[in-house]
Amino acid sequence: MANINVKEYQPEARTTKNRLSWLWAEYSVIIAFIILFIGSSVLNPRFLDINNQLNILMQVSIIGIIAMGMTVVMLSGGIDLSVGSVLALAGVISVLALNASGSILVGVLTALLVGSFAGFLNGLMVAKGRIASFIATLGMMAGARSIALYIADGGSVSGEVSGFTAIANSDFWIFDVPVLIFFAMTALVYVLMHKIRFGRYVYALGSNEKAALLSAIRVDRMKIGVYTLIGTLVGVAAVIETSRLNSISSSSSGAQYELDAIAAVIIGGTRMTGGRGKIIGTLFGVLILGILNNMMNLMNVSPHLQGFVKGLIIIIAVVFQKRE
Amino acid sequence: MTENPFIKMQTIKKSFNGVPVLKGVALEVQKGEIHALLGENGAGKSTLMNILGGVHQPDSGTIYIDGKEEKMLDPRISQEHGISFIHQELNMVSDLRVYENMFLGSELRSKVGFLKVEEMCKQTHEILAKLGVDIDPKEYVRNLATSYKQLIEISKALLHNSRLIIMDEPTTSLAEHEVSRLFGLMKNLKKSGVSIIYISHKLKEIKEVCDRYTVLRDGELVRTGSMEHENIETITKTMVGKAISQERFLHEHPFGRVVLEVDGLTSDAFKNIDFTVRKGEIVGFTGLAGDGRTELFESLFGFRKKYTGEVKINGQAVKIDHPRKALKAGLGLVPRDRKENAIIKDLSVLHNMSLSSMGNFEKRGFIRDKEERKKFQFYKEALNIKVHNPRITIDKLSGGNQQKVIIAKWLEAETELLIFDNPTQGIDIGAKQEIYQQIVELAKLGKAVIILSSEAPEVLRICHTINVMFQGEITARFSAEEANEEEIMNYATGSKREVAKIG
Ligand SMILES: Nc1ncnc2c1ncn2[C@@H]1O[C@H](COP(=O)(O)OP(=O)(O)OP(=O)(O)O)[C@@H](O)[C@H]1O
Ligand SMILES: [Mg+2]
Repeated sequence: MANINVKEYQPEARTTKNRLSWLWAEYSVIIAFIILFIGSSVLNPRFLDINNQLNILMQVSIIGIIAMGMTVVMLSGGIDLSVGSVLALAGVISVLALNASGSILVGVLTALLVGSFAGFLNGLMVAKGRIASFIATLGMMAGARSIALYIADGGSVSGEVSGFTAIANSDFWIFDVPVLIFFAMTALVYVLMHKIRFGRYVYALGSNEKAALLSAIRVDRMKIGVYTLIGTLVGVAAVIETSRLNSISSSSSGAQYELDAIAAVIIGGTRMTGGRGKIIGTLFGVLILGILNNMMNLMNVSPHLQGFVKGLIIIIAVVFQKRE
Repeated sequence: MTENPFIKMQTIKKSFNGVPVLKGVALEVQKGEIHALLGENGAGKSTLMNILGGVHQPDSGTIYIDGKEEKMLDPRISQEHGISFIHQELNMVSDLRVYENMFLGSELRSKVGFLKVEEMCKQTHEILAKLGVDIDPKEYVRNLATSYKQLIEISKALLHNSRLIIMDEPTTSLAEHEVSRLFGLMKNLKKSGVSIIYISHKLKEIKEVCDRYTVLRDGELVRTGSMEHENIETITKTMVGKAISQERFLHEHPFGRVVLEVDGLTSDAFKNIDFTVRKGEIVGFTGLAGDGRTELFESLFGFRKKYTGEVKINGQAVKIDHPRKALKAGLGLVPRDRKENAIIKDLSVLHNMSLSSMGNFEKRGFIRDKEERKKFQFYKEALNIKVHNPRITIDKLSGGNQQKVIIAKWLEAETELLIFDNPTQGIDIGAKQEIYQQIVELAKLGKAVIILSSEAPEVLRICHTINVMFQGEITARFSAEEANEEEIMNYATGSKREVAKIG
């Protein structure tokens, strides 16, 4: 259109009070994280130990990778309950492929493929079948677990290729490789959501699906893409999970991962109904969960009570969100 | 003026994020008067009403009701004082039935707590009948046309025994005869002592029904007085600071080849639709609620899929079953009812603007924020969009400014044919002029434009060709010179049909 001189936008001055309330609204999860971090250091001196810190990161890496995918799904207005089961299924099949082929690459690719295919099926059910994501992925949760159990005959399968365990058990500089993979996946999802149009469309879809469609967005394809993405990330998580102990259990691996991932996303400030939330928020949500677990271990809280504490935190986070 | 006005607001101040929106505004409303609240888009009308309605809290200032100071801490308190609020944007729950929406939050219950469904349906039916609307109270709201939703929204406010009804642009999707029914009702209410605050950008309506008026500009009160001694021109002048002509836009230019050709389009909402649009032509479609024009163009745009007939774009038959395909084929649609169909309320103003034309802002697949900001700056000036910071979410803008962003979004898509459905919904008279200017500009550049409007004067002002629809059929087609409001009404209400002329 016509040429006119373009002025750069000048942000107006903010008052201090406004700035503080804005800071709180935007970054409440980071502030909560800092408070928790300081509180933990005071409560238990061992908390600050660098090895403990790195340990926390290692412990959250698998849930963290899944939570990144979960953020995208929840921003689009859906949910994925099948992540734990799909992780077990991808793990089992990839170990079989690994052992049969003797190639680590084939094992890894199989995990990714199984994960993304399961996600793709979820996406198809939600987008084309118009099934509520809660129901569709609940079905996948039961189905994937059952197939994993069937293939592994209810037990565990172990890798027989040397070198496979190196993926999750080596480190690079001071970081364990899974932690680096977690960071890389976080960066990847960040770019997807904020630097290219994919993210825009996901936010639009989660905020107002009808308007997104009328804005000429391929809503169905976006949904399929979103579930395929989380499936692929679950595949990545499955590789780490399997490689860590060189085996995967068809019955217990991945159990309740969906709860932890959803908890991290909610604590991170993403709205349950979609459209609003941040990748960075989820990152800190994951870290908060990690610190809580770690502190409860350090302070010898009974493992049976840890679920209670986690549940409480989720509810508090949601109450805070509601207040907005 | 009597000593004690029914409502008195004094030195109301309100800022959002440090930006002052109301700078000490006063408002007085007498018992049993219809008071017009006027001002440009973003002047602060809705904000002032939100304060009276308890939606927002003022930073300072006082509200008196019947001479007593009251604090409107939340909407419920305001309601208890007998204030009903018809908001600017529709607030219907689409998945509920009509009567359920009407009684949402104030359901009628029997002594043991059962819902009195039949009683609620009966009351719903009665009140809708007063507005001349005949719909089944058990119909789901999602199946209704926008104008019906607006009428239901109005009825909802009438349901309570209110002493004051705030109407924030209640007629944006209503046709003329629906508006006059509403006015009849308002005059009756007035007689029974109910006060009404009436916000509208249609000054003709204001002149017809309002007793007094208050004009806001940039959050300040600039004038208040009695309607009798004023004419529309002076009020316009106080509002926008200049005179606005209501003349037809003169723009004679030759048309190019045919861009869109529609042949025998039929679905359950319309039948046997034939028309063509040429490059550079502005074609209008008007009619009353239920005329099928919105459905027709939503079908052409691929949003609705169940229709038969032939559509040709640039001479080629096309089958469009998704809005994306429509966009690729060169069709754009600015939908009606922005809150439901166009606004992505969690995205910023900038991101709403660029949503349908991401390709314009990308380099090697990555979005360039700077390009978005530049482009927005352009539209901000061209359409006079009032926003302090384009990074805030779009729902923070005033209604009219949201509409301008949606128009910018589709102008930016640069399609060969652009369909505007009720494009000036909530836009002030000054900005309307600018939008018409943009549309004419598009036509001069050789783009084809289609305008759907329930207002005959709007299509008369800028269209070359005018189609009138009645119950799903095109009943008349005029060229701009031969059309007039009266004739259009005759065909729109079905009292005349001119089948021979078409085809
Ligand atoms: N929640 C909010 N946060 C920030 N700014 C706001 C908010 N609500 C309104 N504003 C700003 O206040 C100004 C006045 O808005 P308001 O909605 O009162 O205008 P209006 O007179 O009703 O205009 P219109 O005719 O377009 O409806 C606008 O500039 C708008 O951007
Ligand atoms: Mg308004």
